[in-house]
Amino acid sequence: MSGPTADWEKAGDSFYRKIKFYEAILDPELELEYHVIAGAVYGGALALYRDQERIQTYRSTPSFKSSIDVYSCAGRLIRRINWDKGNIRGLGWSDDEKLLVVTEDGTVRCYYDLHGDFTQFSLGNGAEEHGVVACRFWSHGLVALLSNNRLIAVSNYLEPRPRLLALPPSDMVHSWAIIPPAYTLSRSVEVLLAVGETLYVIDSTEAEDRVLPNGPFQHISVSPNGLYIALYAEGGKVWMIMSDFQSKIGEYESKTKTVPKDVQWCGNDSVVLAWEDEIHMIGPNGAFLRYYYDAWVHLIPDIDGVRLITNDVCEFLQKVPDATVEVHKYGSTSPASVLLDAVQQLESESPKADEDIQLIRPKLPDAVAICVEAAGQEYHSRWQKQLLKAASFGKSILDVYSSDDFVGVCETLRILNAVRDYRIGLPLTYEQYTRLTPVQLIRRLINRSEYLLAIRLSEFLRLPTNNIYVHWAARKARHSSADQESVCRSIVARLSSKRGISFEMIARAAYDEGHGDLATALLHHEARAGKQVPLLMSMSEDELALDKAIASGDPDLVFIVLLNLKKQIPLASFFRMLSNRPMAMALVETSARDQDTSLLKDLYYQDDRRLDGSRLLFSEALAQSAPQTKVDKLKLASKLLADSTKDSAALLTSRLIQETQSLIKVQSSLDNDRPASSQTKFTGLSLNQTVYQLVLGSQIKRANKLAADFHLPPKVSEWIRLRALVVARNWDELEDIARRNKKSPIGWEPYFNEILGAGKIKLAGGTFVAKCTNLTVSERSEMWIKCGMFSRAGDELVKAKDLEGLEKLKKRAGPEGAGEIERMMAGLRLKR
Amino acid sequence: MAPHPGIDTDQIREKIRRDLFGLLEGIQGKKNLVIEKSLADVIGIFVKFSTLQEHGVDKLFLLENNNVDSSQKNVVFLARGEKALKPIAVAEQIQRLQKNSSIEHDFSVIWAPRRTLVSDKILEESGVLGDLSVEVLPLYFVPLEQDVLSLCFEDSFSDIYLRRDPTSIFLGAQALMDLQNSHGLFPRIIGKGDQAQRLMELLLRMRSEAAAEDNATTFGPMPSAYVESLIVIDREIDMATPLLTQLTYEGLIDEMFGIQYNSAEIDSSIVGPAPGAQQPARAEGTVAPGLKRKIMLDSTDKLYDQLRDTNFAIVDGLLNKVARRLQSDMHSPRDAKSTSELKEFISKLPGYQAEQQSLRVHIGLTEEMLKHTQSEIFRRCLEVQQNLADGTDPSSQHDSIEELIARDVPLPIILRLLCLESCVSGGLRQRDLENFKRLLLQAYGYQHLLTLASLEKMGMLKIRASANILFNPLGAGSGTVENSSTNYNYLRRVLRLIVDEVDEQNPNDISYVYSGYAPLSIRLVQCILQKQSLLAFTRGTQAPSTANGVASASNTSHGWQGFESALSNVRGATFSKVQKGEDAATKARNMLQGSAGGKVKTVVLMFLGGITFTEIAALRFLAKQEEGRRKLLICTTGIISGNSIMDAVMEKEDFSKG
Repeated sequence: MSGPTADWEKAGDSFYRKIKFYEAILDPELELEYHVIAGAVYGGALALYRDQERIQTYRSTPSFKSSIDVYSCAGRLIRRINWDKGNIRGLGWSDDEKLLVVTEDGTVRCYYDLHGDFTQFSLGNGAEEHGVVACRFWSHGLVALLSNNRLIAVSNYLEPRPRLLALPPSDMVHSWAIIPPAYTLSRSVEVLLAVGETLYVIDSTEAEDRVLPNGPFQHISVSPNGLYIALYAEGGKVWMIMSDFQSKIGEYESKTKTVPKDVQWCGNDSVVLAWEDEIHMIGPNGAFLRYYYDAWVHLIPDIDGVRLITNDVCEFLQKVPDATVEVHKYGSTSPASVLLDAVQQLESESPKADEDIQLIRPKLPDAVAICVEAAGQEYHSRWQKQLLKAASFGKSILDVYSSDDFVGVCETLRILNAVRDYRIGLPLTYEQYTRLTPVQLIRRLINRSEYLLAIRLSEFLRLPTNNIYVHWAARKARHSSADQESVCRSIVARLSSKRGISFEMIARAAYDEGHGDLATALLHHEARAGKQVPLLMSMSEDELALDKAIASGDPDLVFIVLLNLKKQIPLASFFRMLSNRPMAMALVETSARDQDTSLLKDLYYQDDRRLDGSRLLFSEALAQSAPQTKVDKLKLASKLLADSTKDSAALLTSRLIQETQSLIKVQSSLDNDRPASSQTKFTGLSLNQTVYQLVLGSQIKRANKLAADFHLPPKVSEWIRLRALVVARNWDELEDIARRNKKSPIGWEPYFNEILGAGKIKLAGGTFVAKCTNLTVSERSEMWIKCGMFSRAGDELVKAKDLEGLEKLKKRAGPEGAGEIERMMAGLRLKR
Repeated sequence: MAPHPGIDTDQIREKIRRDLFGLLEGIQGKKNLVIEKSLADVIGIFVKFSTLQEHGVDKLFLLENNNVDSSQKNVVFLARGEKALKPIAVAEQIQRLQKNSSIEHDFSVIWAPRRTLVSDKILEESGVLGDLSVEVLPLYFVPLEQDVLSLCFEDSFSDIYLRRDPTSIFLGAQALMDLQNSHGLFPRIIGKGDQAQRLMELLLRMRSEAAAEDNATTFGPMPSAYVESLIVIDREIDMATPLLTQLTYEGLIDEMFGIQYNSAEIDSSIVGPAPGAQQPARAEGTVAPGLKRKIMLDSTDKLYDQLRDTNFAIVDGLLNKVARRLQSDMHSPRDAKSTSELKEFISKLPGYQAEQQSLRVHIGLTEEMLKHTQSEIFRRCLEVQQNLADGTDPSSQHDSIEELIARDVPLPIILRLLCLESCVSGGLRQRDLENFKRLLLQAYGYQHLLTLASLEKMGMLKIRASANILFNPLGAGSGTVENSSTNYNYLRRVLRLIVDEVDEQNPNDISYVYSGYAPLSIRLVQCILQKQSLLAFTRGTQAPSTANGVASASNTSHGWQGFESALSNVRGATFSKVQKGEDAATKARNMLQGSAGGKVKTVVLMFLGGITFTEIAALRFLAKQEEGRRKLLICTTGIISGNSIMDAVMEKEDFSKG
């Protein structure tokens, strides 16, 4: 194996290296010179299509169907997208590896995975009439240049909103470039247009002439960090300036009259000019390097270098990182380099190893750190190992060392080496990996269907794996040729024990591909009803959607399915669907009661729920205002129950409804009869209240008749009369009742209590206590006491010969009554 | 009621406040807030109107009043979006403002506790969805006290049992899921009742749904380290308890005046006029007529905190004692010898004044309540209730009930008596039921045909199926009734629901809350938490308190064990489900933690369909017994009482129109 510096070359003070990533990458027959090629950053995929407008050598076989081919960096064909949508004016990638294709008529297709699924939108803003000339892309957006020099910017592809930038000059555009929004002061994209001899900067509001004297510029290129601009002017001159146009940082004379086909930044400190088979690299301070190829070469700029693509190789040109220079530079005496030497001495069992260590002892921590860093930058595993070994050796000598960096680099290298393999073809550098982030790397692997590696890496990095499984299953559901049942079974078997699996996404994929049954079967395994139901509804699996919604227990879901169903299917089948689903039925009934009683009526009619139906009519009767319409509604209500003679509940209800009607009739005639002065309205009162009001209004005969007509129990009407008379303070009537009747249905005690409660003590005591013959002596004497009639109470006790009772009574009677009680007691004692 | 380690209800309250203020501040400038009545009351528990004003609310309107004006550009609606009615009201008011108002309004809608598809659809169909911003206030459990969390759904009882609308069960499950997410899985879910089982199934389902949602963790949630179990009690298994008149102080206040969200509106002739002008958040136009005064009834009132859970019979005496102490404290400066003693007294003075104020309120209340409890009607009702609960032949009570009807006692009281009879004795004889129906309709109006139909639909009023099965006190485990209703006759004996000697001063059993009846729902909780002492108690041998300590160390991991035959006589499904984390994770934790023995764990109780104040009092009594071993956290869909049940069922319309 060659030494670590074999592919280095020096330009000025810095070293540059060209790493050969992969060999024999493209079909040698593929005429790269006739292809437009675009590559995604971070070692991403390449997209190629044959440029139809370029003059081509004649082929005997007619050129095959045009297509956009997506390759990995190692030349593996990932996807061939057949293309028949017209001339392509822009081909580019976003940072998350979405392929953007812009056609002449302003249509933009965004291929969001590497498998040909796309979303599409149109640039509008006159793109159709004038035609798109070219496009420039940044991490998540693009700018299109129209033939009338108008510029249209799109700043994201999820919700694309194309908008026009400020009006640029109308002269011919020699070349153009963009500064991504992340690097501009205005935080929106800025466009550099080389028009005439000068350069214009255009953003959303204005077009500004920067008044540069050296144009016209054939090429403009902006550095990856947006700080520098490289301008190629006719005559072979290259200018490197700051992007704020304040100062010039370099100048270079290429001495070649041919205009290069491409100018790109390599990292942030050098510029690469590419001709057909020749590369010039201009470093700082005018130093330069030249590389020659024997085939057509393409430049793919990345954040920290440039990928060079020919039919044969994929190489990476970058500045050698500082740590690597320090370790490997020929003749270097840096501590890191000595440490590396020490470990080599150790392997050959030479005592020089110890000398080396002693030499750098004070700087050992730095040396270890540099070795670790350099290992990360190394592309060949042999040197990775060697450097890590050196670091490991060095740290074993140190007393205190935090191994975090060491372990981190080891882990990262394992990942990088795994994805750099030609079968995967992701030649990430250490810096690209850090910028890309592990999560995005996993996404790239998923998009390449490298599920196993993705899962392994996720587990290694302790990242969630559920999305990988879902993606795998969705792909399988979509493309599997096996019968749907077994596909479903195999997917479920694989995923059933995993957390965070969205079967809804898998089912949606299957449904989009037309596998409806499979989608349904898969949806059964989706745990979240909130996800199942909308998809089922869009698949018109209404009944299933309803069942799933019910199973979820979420009334809201059930409700929304029901609303949908009610609109779509005939009412009769809607009701049938409800009949064996109590929860849905309950929800329909509840909401219909508030909003749509006619629906409820239909429902009860179809289900033959007469009792419910008649109750509904009953409640409608309550809402009526005219007595006649009330009665009419009630008639309908009882008619509904006319046939159900066997059901005792129905019979009773029907009878009660009829009573209701008669009461309303009676009350309305009472209301008609009543004197205008009377405040009381009878309608709306209950039967008891009506009787009560009549008694209160001294219409006792009418009250009695009403009570009799409605078979009011005697006890009840007695109570009503009593209460009303007491409230009316109709004492004469009460006394009259006492006189007339020997017995009362409720006994005489209530009379006593009510009248006493109303404060008519004399009446209560004088008339009613004596009538309570069914009570005991002591109870009766208690009643006397309540009236303050102690002597009568005493008499009562004397009759019962209750000496003890009398004793107690004496105490309660107080000084005035005591004498009399004393006498009674004496009399009683005497009798004994 | 020490704060709960682990599940801290104060944090929940703070979070709701933060969320609400965050949402309000998210809308620039001053705004008019239109709020649903029931939500206004809920939010009023912990936010004063002045605080809302600090967060940019200019005026407050009630959604139900439909009177929001165009005085502010920003109009914010806050409502529940579960049922169609509120979103429709919101949409209509937005349309009205858009049409009539001269200025262009910015509308926002805040849905609580979640945004529903239905509300979206309604707003979309009215064409206003595009013009407003939609936010969500995740208002699930609201802490009423440190040990009580309520969903505050006013209609939950009638929703679940009358309309069979599972919304509150579902939201209850979501609320419990919330607790699980922040405190770990309930290691065991024990419960009784069909709807309770439904809730448990929903919880399990939501857990698997969460597993499908969550992509960050390899392991699911773990069983909680400080929650012992979740006990779900379905109201349906014990309908009788709320029908009885509550006899604790708080319960009786609720019966007489109605307590809503920790406050009651009481005639100021009873409790005296309000001391300061501190008005809780209240919407415009609802300012109560001058005669009513809103008093807060929660644990911030120290006196009330002492009284609330005691039997009303002893409140009188307690108040006397407090009054005497306060009097001697207030007069202590006479004995003060030094200035430092005097200084100390002065510093205590504001406390005394607050106490005096609260004493005045509670003495006023107690006087009024004593008047009520001494009335003949009250005593008659109580007598009927207690006879029914005792298992006296119900037909012997019919005369009394008929008389009460004839005397025009308020309908809810009568309905409670009839339903109680139906519940405890498995229904009424058909002839009796028909007779009572007619009596009721004649006395209270035929519109109550619908009321009765609703009660029958809920199964609270029914015809006795076949007299001999249910009336057989040995009908235990005969299995013929298949749990379709609770057999109180059997349970009364087995679980000793009726306790004859009750010492209200120093109660030794939960039965003190109903002066001799132990609520079945709470007995069932005892079946899980206090197996040994309950067994001893039901056998009549009073367990000595020391033995009690050893006995109830048996934890809930046994579920219902030992009480299976009692359980089979209670309506609905019985379940006891263990929730495990993944094995590997469990092992890892056990290794890290060692045995977590000796720690005080929390038992979460979920009363689906509602809980009464008396049951809360009984649970607090249990909690006191368990102090040092475990804590109880009471969750419910809402606080209910017999009156609120009847109020929800009763037909409000009558034939007076026109």
